[in-house]
Amino acid sequence: MLIEVFGPGCAKCQTLEKHAKEAVEKSGGTHQVVKVSDYAAMAARGILSTPALALDGHIKSQGKVISTDDILVLLKG
Amino acid sequence: MSDGPARPSLFRRGGWLLLALPLWVFLYAANHAVSEWLAFRLLGLTPKSHLGEAVAFLFYDTPKVLLLLTLVVFIVTFLQTFVNPTRVRDALSKRRPGLGNALASLFGIITPFCSCSAVPLFIGFLRAGVPLGVTFSFLVAAPMVNEIALGMLFAMFGWKIALLYASTGVAIAFASGLILGRLRMERYLESWVQDALNAPALGEAEEEQSTLPARLDLAVQGVKEIVGKVWPYILAGIAVGAFIHGYVPERFMASLLGKNHWYSVPLAVLIGVPLYSNAAGVMPIVEALLGKGAALGSTLAFMMAVIGLSLPETIILSKVMRPRLIATFVGVVALGILLVGYLFNAIL
Repeated sequence: MLIEVFGPGCAKCQTLEKHAKEAVEKSGGTHQVVKVSDYAAMAARGILSTPALALDGHIKSQGKVISTDDILVLLKG
Repeated sequence: MSDGPARPSLFRRGGWLLLALPLWVFLYAANHAVSEWLAFRLLGLTPKSHLGEAVAFLFYDTPKVLLLLTLVVFIVTFLQTFVNPTRVRDALSKRRPGLGNALASLFGIITPFCSCSAVPLFIGFLRAGVPLGVTFSFLVAAPMVNEIALGMLFAMFGWKIALLYASTGVAIAFASGLILGRLRMERYLESWVQDALNAPALGEAEEEQSTLPARLDLAVQGVKEIVGKVWPYILAGIAVGAFIHGYVPERFMASLLGKNHWYSVPLAVLIGVPLYSNAAGVMPIVEALLGKGAALGSTLAFMMAVIGLSLPETIILSKVMRPRLIATFVGVVALGILLVGYLFNAIL
């Protein structure tokens, strides 16, 4: 799956990216984590607050840092 | 357990929090006696002396502010998990100026907002057809009427001052947005923003479902993050507060920030703007200023300048706005703060 982490580079966004990478490692699957820091791209995707996380193009969470376990659940669901 | 992973987590989290509450009450109740004992017995300082009063203020205020902040952040972060920026945006979309500005100013208080989200939020609002002036009302209210500051004011000074702060902040946000909307400054947005406003949408964020344990987790996470980040500001604020409390003579503060001097409000704003602190860090200073005879209007203006007009946020917003728009934005808000300061110095 493609995991996108949206954020301009604040501390919260880096934490979320870290959680996403940990989740990929734990899941053992072949997922790819991409960081998106372009504001125009965020606007086009309907993101209002950062950090946000998308799976295969669908925004699953925005405005908060979700835990590694939460991302694992999303990856399985 | 077969009925989902959420349940044990709620019991574990809930049990932990139920233990934390009595502990909080105990620490808060014991704080005054402990601080006096530390300052006057253990260190042997003389009550009513400059040093004694300053140190006692330090020992009393540090735990007090940290305890209050923990409780306020927990409650506020928990409540904010129920507020969804997408729904706020949709409620403001295509609103007429006036009602739109009023709604935006009120939503600005409750919506979770951090300055790193200011740009996506700004563009997202405009794309959805929220007028520029209404968006500005939101952008002014969100940092200025800070929900944590509101909670702290309520806890430290009572509901009257909290209400005064909230209502004047909302009034400034309402009026600033209305004025900035009238000035038709759309053309002073950076050109990449204008492109982004017209670019086709590539998707829309889904509505998120959340559970009670997840909300409590976010509240605990919020406490760790915010208290973990702001404690140096609080200590700095308390140190300044302790100095004012112990050493600055009452007449000096009254002559500088008292209500009978025309310069006291602009002075408070001038001191406040470059002093970047956050809502919690400024509270001990506010406490000491009021205790030393500074006028309420000047103190309110000082607090709003510190929290509402911050340099980092201005820098972030300069990515989307040309200098002329930024300058107008800061100017209008500063004017609003001055008016509030003068108004309350005159009537109270």
